[in-house]
Amino acid sequence: MEPVITGTETLTEPPQVGVTSGPAKPGPSVSRSPTRIALERLRKDKVAMTCLGIFVFFVLVAIFAPLLAKLEGQDPTSYNFDLIDKRTTFPYSGASSDHWFGVEPRLGRDLFARWVYGARPSLLVAGIVTVVTTILGVVLGLIAGFFSGWIDRVLSWVIDFILSLPYLIFAIATPAVIISVIYGGSEGTSPEQVARVRFISLILVLSFFGWAGLARLIRGQVLSLREREFIAAARVLGVPTRRVLFRELLPNLIAPIVVSASLALPGYIVAEAGLTFLGVGLMDPTPSWGVTIASAQNYYDTYPLWLWVPVLGITILVLALSLLGDAVRDAFDPKTRR
Amino acid sequence: MLLYILRRLASAVSVIFVTLVATFGLFYLAPTDPAGVICGPKCTPARYEEIYKSLHLNEPFYQQMLGYFQGLFVGRTFTSGGVTIECSAPCLGYSYALGQPVTKLLGQALPITISIVFGSAIAYLIIGVAAGTFAARRRGTSLDRFMVGGTLVVGSVPYFVVALVAALYVPQFLPFIPKAHWTPLTENPLSWFAGLLLPWLVLGIVNSASYTRYSRGSMIESLGEDYVRTARSKGITERRVVYRHALRSAMTPIATIFGLDVAFALTGALFTETIFGLPGLGLLTLRAFNQYDLPVLMGGALIGVVVLVLINLLVDLLYTVLDPRVRLA
Repeated sequence: MEPVITGTETLTEPPQVGVTSGPAKPGPSVSRSPTRIALERLRKDKVAMTCLGIFVFFVLVAIFAPLLAKLEGQDPTSYNFDLIDKRTTFPYSGASSDHWFGVEPRLGRDLFARWVYGARPSLLVAGIVTVVTTILGVVLGLIAGFFSGWIDRVLSWVIDFILSLPYLIFAIATPAVIISVIYGGSEGTSPEQVARVRFISLILVLSFFGWAGLARLIRGQVLSLREREFIAAARVLGVPTRRVLFRELLPNLIAPIVVSASLALPGYIVAEAGLTFLGVGLMDPTPSWGVTIASAQNYYDTYPLWLWVPVLGITILVLALSLLGDAVRDAFDPKTRR
Repeated sequence: MLLYILRRLASAVSVIFVTLVATFGLFYLAPTDPAGVICGPKCTPARYEEIYKSLHLNEPFYQQMLGYFQGLFVGRTFTSGGVTIECSAPCLGYSYALGQPVTKLLGQALPITISIVFGSAIAYLIIGVAAGTFAARRRGTSLDRFMVGGTLVVGSVPYFVVALVAALYVPQFLPFIPKAHWTPLTENPLSWFAGLLLPWLVLGIVNSASYTRYSRGSMIESLGEDYVRTARSKGITERRVVYRHALRSAMTPIATIFGLDVAFALTGALFTETIFGLPGLGLLTLRAFNQYDLPVLMGGALIGVVVLVLINLLVDLLYTVLDPRVRLA
């Protein structure tokens, strides 16, 4: 028997319901959703929680980058030629109380400020691309799996096609095309404009090539779920198709979606930094770890601090996110027992 | 079976065709001035016009595209300044920046990329499957857990960071490993091997992580299969059970990933070649992009997509050979 509850009671003290009907019995009588079980497993996983902490740390660094730079008293774009030895182009001193990670050779920009600002494009690009590809992949996968026939055939062909394209070629070619379409040629565009176009085109290319894998996975899942009784029941009851797709099917796909998104995020961070490192992703004056690594690699011997600060940043961030993704996958997998 | 192969071939050709059209289209839209590049800074308008015409740049998009395909299958001729150059099929055109036939440039770069990709593939396949089988047979022990944890960490570090750090610091701290360089195999096999050893090792160790995990999981699964129990109950030696019965079916999923990975490694070659300074396909394509050298870029895209598609096809066919349970619908 459910006690009658008024609205205010449910909002303030929902656990009282269980108490009034007798002592709470943990165990088989309590039914929990698979997502709840997975989250509880995850919460007990020390490695996963440490990795989550590291990820949150980097997100905070990215959000409060202006504040952190102000705390140091520097900003990522101004030049400090007075600190640079004119003959060698190297700074006179390394890390100091004014410049916590030292300054860049040649231009003398502050490395700490560039490092904290550098966390931004990595997380922003990877975050946006992960959200876009997840939404696209889920929606198109649902549609392809649910409506068989020509819709499925067309979508499956597109998925197979995108998965077999050499995406690097397109990643390389797209920014030039966008610049010419928007600004009508590469001449007369400022570095800031080019940098902004590079940023947008990186997101476009990674999104365009990223959704297909998830869509294929979701389609496969939907193909088997479609034949289950609860879907048949919903359709017999005349539930509208959109409701069947998003209220009946989608909740059963939470596990693969969460797992795929959490494994995709570090992948896109690596993709952004890698393309930037090759010189076809983001570019100066955007402060980015990939840009710094690319320009610092030739000075690894004479000025290792310049190279190692962004290298450690990206390595720790990606490592933490990947391990977190693996932990999420294990937590959602009913076959793994701990 | 024949119908299946034909259907797969048709879809493979369509992918190659669309990739070429898309790449061509992207660069048709891009702000390129190849005639200006060839003509140089001291260029008279008449000479510019002539080069512009000789490259067929005055023609509409579809005609330029048709010309490209014509060159690919039957060859074409270029006329420039009264000189006619015969370019026989498969003609991929001439590099705008270097003035050499694209087929020649690709021919020089291809052996380097192939050496890197296949050498490292052998390295990570051996390391990964051996370690995975080793861990699977010791499932649950602390050694197994250590290996699984190790692969997680190794596999998660960004590849270009590992390669960069290795390229910069290995010659300094491990001087007995030679610095990466390229010598053709036919010229000096020993130097060829020495020059590629470091890239192979780096690629091999980084990629073996996922193989160790996959082959461990796959091996555990097949060791639990009924036919393995049957084989054991027949009194077959454990060695034979593991390597002849279990490993063979455990290799099926590995073969799929392997195929996809070789394709991936081909794109990843861009990083390997840039970082270790090996003048392969990746470096050639990257340079072509920076100079808007469309013919070279198209050639790179063509090779990339053909290899990718062929490998996917091969993997699907290999599937049926490795696992007799797979039947084609």
